[in-house]
Amino acid sequence: MIKFGPQNLRIPKFERPVYVVAGGLTDYRKRYPEKNTCQLCTEALRMAVEENDLKLDPEEVRRSVNWCVYSQFADHFGDQLLAAAKVHDYLGFDPLGNIEVKTGGATGGSAVLAAAQAVASGYASCVPVVGWERMDEVSTKVGNSYIASAACKDFESELGWMYAAYYALMAQRYQYENNVPRDTLARIACKNHEYARHSPFAQNPGKYTVKEILENDIVSHPLSFLECCVMSVGAAVLLLCDEPTARRLTDKPVQLKAIAGGSHTLRTADRRHMPILLLPNETPETYADYFGAKRDAWPGFSSFLASRTAAYLAYHMAGIKDPLEDFDLLETHDAFTISDVQTYEDIGLRPYGRGREFIESGDAYFEGRLPTNLSGGLIGTMHAVGATGIFQIVELLWQLQGKYDKFHGDAALWRRYGKEKPTDWRSLQVHNAKRGCAISHAGTGSHVTCAILERV
Amino acid sequence: MSIEWPSATLEVVQQRPLTVKNPKTWPHIHSYGGWGRFFAGLQERKILATRCANPRCEEKRLWLPPRCECPDCWHAMDWVEAPQRGRLYTWSIVKYPGELFKLPPDTPLISVELDGVCTKVMSWLKEGKPEIGMPVRAVFNTQRPTHTILDLAWVPA
Repeated sequence: MIKFGPQNLRIPKFERPVYVVAGGLTDYRKRYPEKNTCQLCTEALRMAVEENDLKLDPEEVRRSVNWCVYSQFADHFGDQLLAAAKVHDYLGFDPLGNIEVKTGGATGGSAVLAAAQAVASGYASCVPVVGWERMDEVSTKVGNSYIASAACKDFESELGWMYAAYYALMAQRYQYENNVPRDTLARIACKNHEYARHSPFAQNPGKYTVKEILENDIVSHPLSFLECCVMSVGAAVLLLCDEPTARRLTDKPVQLKAIAGGSHTLRTADRRHMPILLLPNETPETYADYFGAKRDAWPGFSSFLASRTAAYLAYHMAGIKDPLEDFDLLETHDAFTISDVQTYEDIGLRPYGRGREFIESGDAYFEGRLPTNLSGGLIGTMHAVGATGIFQIVELLWQLQGKYDKFHGDAALWRRYGKEKPTDWRSLQVHNAKRGCAISHAGTGSHVTCAILERV
Repeated sequence: MSIEWPSATLEVVQQRPLTVKNPKTWPHIHSYGGWGRFFAGLQERKILATRCANPRCEEKRLWLPPRCECPDCWHAMDWVEAPQRGRLYTWSIVKYPGELFKLPPDTPLISVELDGVCTKVMSWLKEGKPEIGMPVRAVFNTQRPTHTILDLAWVPA
């Protein structure tokens, strides 16, 4: 049983407001030998400073920067320790101070958190967050082994050398406890592959039926290939500023109202039970009938305590009463279809045990109540791990600024990446989007951040 | 004096962009530290778990995988034998395992629920078809031990 002390769940507070003013991406590919890591990061930074309608030219932006945060998941992949120092130098930010953040799959979200802390405290006023991953130096099989070395190497990694297997164990238990139909999980994959079709950045777009998703090769029972995230190469950049700098840089400032982190055991095995931590839209009555023969403990293998903790802190920080009502769009860390359903519950879109309804009701779709992963997510667009949490917030920023079409619908941008804009391309711009949320997630829930952005 | 060029050359994978193969094969000398006792225990057909020795600590159940120190109070823990019969909590069969996977294809990976243990140990099923809730008992690889967690497995009880 985990017990909290009075200060453990203190609601975080920014000493001054934090703004997100610009974002930049590369396209994402399984292999990207044409550009090295330093070049990819530069490309994303250039998009941020040159194509975000900033009021200052790139050189003036450079002269405003006073601290940098870097985000890369695994030194193994790039086979270069302290790659951040190389990138920092390449981007021309010497001799400014910088740090590199590492929290597994949530590295990007944690890097944004670290940058926000710097701005909110007054330590810095203009901070680029630069993330990347270079996953193409090794075979997919070795890549999976590298990722599985982010599980416990003493007691877990040997059992599969494959992260999908650890999620598959949770998937089986979740399905046993909650009877979620296989079709519902597959529909998440269909949705995200489909939204990826409208993104020039996407690595794995596709029009699939539920049947095709389910009949696809199994990676680890019950998850099929098309239900798992891609392994990518690419970079993403976000520029965080204090209010005066944001006003100087942009006419469309978006405020980072909250970002908070939670954690839980690296080994899924080590999860102990505790009372459900309630979100503002839940009461003890919400779970009056939750526990029974199949569901005897929370969080068990069906829920992510880290996600619940991050959402709890961020919702209180931003004054969110009901995420389904208060958010206009959402980016989840859809590493696997199953973890997506689990996340819907952890962040309060539906009570525990009923996450499937978020998909089945249509809420999660474009023009639904809370469109989710319009970017194509990790399943359709990218999982260049260190870039992922940054990518999510870049996509949110553009939506909140009304710039989805600018960054997804321009045929020249498609051609930049050697692609043709599809003839049936459609705009996924959420009309008048005001507030969005992004969940960045690591391990089997070892680290999670919850970020809330609001147009001002 | 003229120094020779190095004789080791890298294999060129492709010319444009220039892509070379960097070979990497070196062992890590890894110590299990205090957890070594668990792996030694497997060779005596024992599952050694730990329990907090601090009388004021609220967690009375066993930890498996073991921890030498308690995460609740940081007190040293006692080593105790865990039960060798339990229930299958969840399972999966990994069809595309990563490099280094040593078990035969289609080996079910499982999590096991043991009475009195606060955790759900991850392992593999050596015989039978996995089903959530099925009773299982522990078996041990003492013939040709791997000295890894793979030396513990479960069969239907």
